[in-house]
Amino acid sequence: MKKENLSPLTQPCGPASRFGRRVCRVMIRPHVNVVEIEKVTKTFGNHVAVNSVSLAVPQGSIYGFIGPNGSGKTTTLRMIMRIYHPDPGAGAIRVLGETGFTAASDRVGYLPEERGLYKKMKVSDVLRFYAQLKGHRNPNPLIRTWLERLGLSEYTDKKVETLSKGMSQKVQFISAVLTEPQLVILDEPFSGLDPVNADVLREAVLELRRKGATVIFSTHDMAVAEKMCDFIFMIYKGNKVLDGTLDSIQDRYGQDTVRVRVEGDGFDARTVPGVEKVNDFGRLQELRMIPNTNPQILLSELMKRGRVVHFELTRPSLHDIFVRIARPAADSTASSEQVGAAHA
Amino acid sequence: MRKTFIVAVREYMVSVRTKAFLIGLLMMPLMMGGGFIVGALMEGRVDTKDKRIAVADYTGRLFNALDSAAQQRNETAIFQGEGAARKQILPRFVLQKIETGAADGEDMQQLSLQLSDRIRKGELMAFVLIGPGVIDASKDPSSATLNYYSNTPTYNDARNWITGVLNEQVQQLRLEGAAIDSKVVRRLTQRVPVGNLGLVETDAAGNIIRAVETNQLANFLVPFAMMFLMFMVIMASTAPLLNSTLEEKTQRIAEVLLASIPPFELMAGKLIGILGVSLTMATVYLLGAYAALNRAGYAQFFPWQSIGWFVGFLSLAVLMYGSIFIAIGAAVSDMKEAQSMMTPVMLLVVSPMFVLQYVMREPASTLSLVMSLFPPATPMLMTIRQTVPPGIPVWQPLLGIALVVLTSLVCVFAAGRIFRVGILMQGKGAKVSEMFRWALRG
Repeated sequence: MKKENLSPLTQPCGPASRFGRRVCRVMIRPHVNVVEIEKVTKTFGNHVAVNSVSLAVPQGSIYGFIGPNGSGKTTTLRMIMRIYHPDPGAGAIRVLGETGFTAASDRVGYLPEERGLYKKMKVSDVLRFYAQLKGHRNPNPLIRTWLERLGLSEYTDKKVETLSKGMSQKVQFISAVLTEPQLVILDEPFSGLDPVNADVLREAVLELRRKGATVIFSTHDMAVAEKMCDFIFMIYKGNKVLDGTLDSIQDRYGQDTVRVRVEGDGFDARTVPGVEKVNDFGRLQELRMIPNTNPQILLSELMKRGRVVHFELTRPSLHDIFVRIARPAADSTASSEQVGAAHA
Repeated sequence: MRKTFIVAVREYMVSVRTKAFLIGLLMMPLMMGGGFIVGALMEGRVDTKDKRIAVADYTGRLFNALDSAAQQRNETAIFQGEGAARKQILPRFVLQKIETGAADGEDMQQLSLQLSDRIRKGELMAFVLIGPGVIDASKDPSSATLNYYSNTPTYNDARNWITGVLNEQVQQLRLEGAAIDSKVVRRLTQRVPVGNLGLVETDAAGNIIRAVETNQLANFLVPFAMMFLMFMVIMASTAPLLNSTLEEKTQRIAEVLLASIPPFELMAGKLIGILGVSLTMATVYLLGAYAALNRAGYAQFFPWQSIGWFVGFLSLAVLMYGSIFIAIGAAVSDMKEAQSMMTPVMLLVVSPMFVLQYVMREPASTLSLVMSLFPPATPMLMTIRQTVPPGIPVWQPLLGIALVVLTSLVCVFAAGRIFRVGILMQGKGAKVSEMFRWALRG
C-alpha cells in the first residue's frame, strides 16, 4: 500500500486536535460530536460483547469500524441506533445530542449488516414505508431520484424477491440514506458488491458527506478503510484497541516495516537477521523489523542474498496492524477465515 | 404514535390486499355452510334401488299388514312433486314372505342362516324374524322376539319403518284380543302438544303483548353463528401475525424497523393493523348475514343488541391472541418450532367449543358463568350467553370485559418484552421457559 494511495481526505490542512496530529478536513467539525459514547458496556448473558468502550465521532467525518467478526462492531452500531440498550449504569450514549432510549432518531440512517426487506412488497413500497417510519411524509420524489441514481429505475414496481443480492443491497442502502439523515450508519456497506456497484455506493457515501452528513461504517476491507476513513476505530473482543486517524495509528507502530522486492534464486526473507515477520504478497514482500533494527544493515543483508529491486521503508499498513492485533485470536480460536476476510 | 399508525396501515394493507385474504373471506362461510349445502345436495341423491326384505312371520298374523303398508308406502310416500314433476326420492321396500316351519329355536336358526346367506349373495337387503310370542308374550316371554338382520347396520330407514308399522299392528291386535276399541284408546291416549313461548310483556301503553312462539333460529342458530363468526375471525386474522413476525425476524427486517421505531410501538402497530383486518372481516360477514336474513324474511332475528358487545369482545380477543402469536413469532427461529408452540394456544382458542353445548343449554348456570369468566374463553362464551335468550345480567359481560382487558394488557406487555429480546436473536429459537424469563425480567 503506497502512501500516495491514501485518501486526500486525510491530507494536512489545519491545526491539531485531540483526534490526531493531522486531523482537519475542512468539513469536519471536531468540536461537535455527532456520537458520544462514554464507557459503555453491553453483556448478553455471561458474554461481554462490548466492554467499557468510549468513542467520539466528530460531525462531518467518516468513521471506520474494523475488527474481527464477533468482536463487537455490530453491537456497538446497534447501540448507537438504540436497537440495543447498554447495560444499565454502565455508561451513556449520546447521538445527535440526544440521550435517552425512548425513540430512535429520525435523523440517523441505518444499513444493517444483513439485508432486511419485505420480499413480497414492491421496491418503491418498501422504500416509502421505511421513509415514512423515519418521519418523512412525501418520500416519492426522493425514491425516484435515488432509484435512478443507483440504476434501479426499472425495478421501481418490481417485487423485492425479484432482485439480485447486489440490487437488494442497493435498495437497502437507499432506505438508509433516503431521508437525508445527519448521521448514516452502514454495517458492511460494500461487502458482496461488484467493483462497479461498490464504486457507485462509495461515491454516494462521499456525496452524503459532502452534503454535511457524518458517516460511520464497518468494513473488513482494510484498503477501503485506509482510503475512505478520516478516523479508524478498532474493537477487538469487546475492547477498543485502536481509535484515531490512520496516521496517528500508524505512528504508534513507527517505521518498522520494509517493503522489498528481491530477485534471486532461493531468496527467503525469513532467514534474514533483523526480520521479525514476513508478509509475502508474491511480487512484493513486507518485512516487519525486530525493534531497533537498523534498516541500512537490513538492506545490506538483503543485497547479499539477491538483487534488490525495491526497498521502501514505511509504516505498517492498516491490514498489518489489524493482523498484528487479531492474529493471536485467529490462531487460537480457529477463526482464521475472519482474518482471511480481512486479507480480502 | 404516527409511526405506530404507519406500521398498522402497512400490516392492514398487506393482509387485506392479498388474494389469500379474499379467498379466505369466501372460504370460511363455505367451510361452515359447506356441510349444509352438501347435505342438501345429497338429499336428492338417495339410492332408489328397491330394498328387498324377507319377513319370516312366526305369528302368521303380521305379514299381511306389513306388506300392505309397504305397498301403500311404495305407491305414495316415496315420491316428491306432483304430475310430471313427480320423482321418486326414496327406495321401494319390497317384502317377501318366508314360509316358516315349527316355531322352535332350531327352525329359526336354520332359517336365519339361510336368509343371511341370501343377504351375503346380494339377493336381499335385510330380513326380519317375528317371534311367535310377539303379540301375546304371556305364554312364553322368550319367544316375544322381533329381530331385524342386515349387513348394512347404518341404513336405518327400513328398520325404523318396520319397527313403527309392526308395533302399531301389534298394538292393534293386542287391543282386539282384549276386546277394546282401538279408536277409543287412540282418543284417550292422544298427546297434548306443549307450546314453546317466550315471556309476556307490556307495550308502552301498558297493554299486554301476547308472548310469541320462540324460534329455533333465534335461540340456537344466532348464538352459534355469532360465536363461530368470532372464532373464525380470530383465527383468520391473528394466526398470520405469527408468520409476519417470523418473516420480519428471519429476513432481518426487524433490525431496520427497530432502527426507526421502538419495539413496543412496532408491536402495537402490528396489533392495530390486524385489529383493522379482523373488524373488516367481521363487518363483511355481519353485513352478509344481515342481507341473507333479510332476504329470507328473518331480519328480525339479526342480533342488533349484541353487535356492540360482539365487536368489543372480538377486539379484545384479537389483541390477546394477536400478542401471543407475535410473541411466538419473535421467539422461535422457524415455522417448525412455531407450529409446536402454537398447539397450546390453539387449544385455548378452541376451548370454548368443548363446552359450547352445555353453555348453550344452560347459559345462566353458575358453571357457565365461571367458564365464561376464564379470560381466553370469555369473548366467545360471553357472546353465546348474551345471545341465548333471555341473556345475562349486564355485570357479567362487564366483569368479563374487565378480566379480558387485564389479560390482554398482560399479554401485550409480556409479548412486548419477548418481542424486543427475541426479534433480534438469530439461530436457535427460545424455549417456553426462556420466553417467560424475558417476559418477567424484561
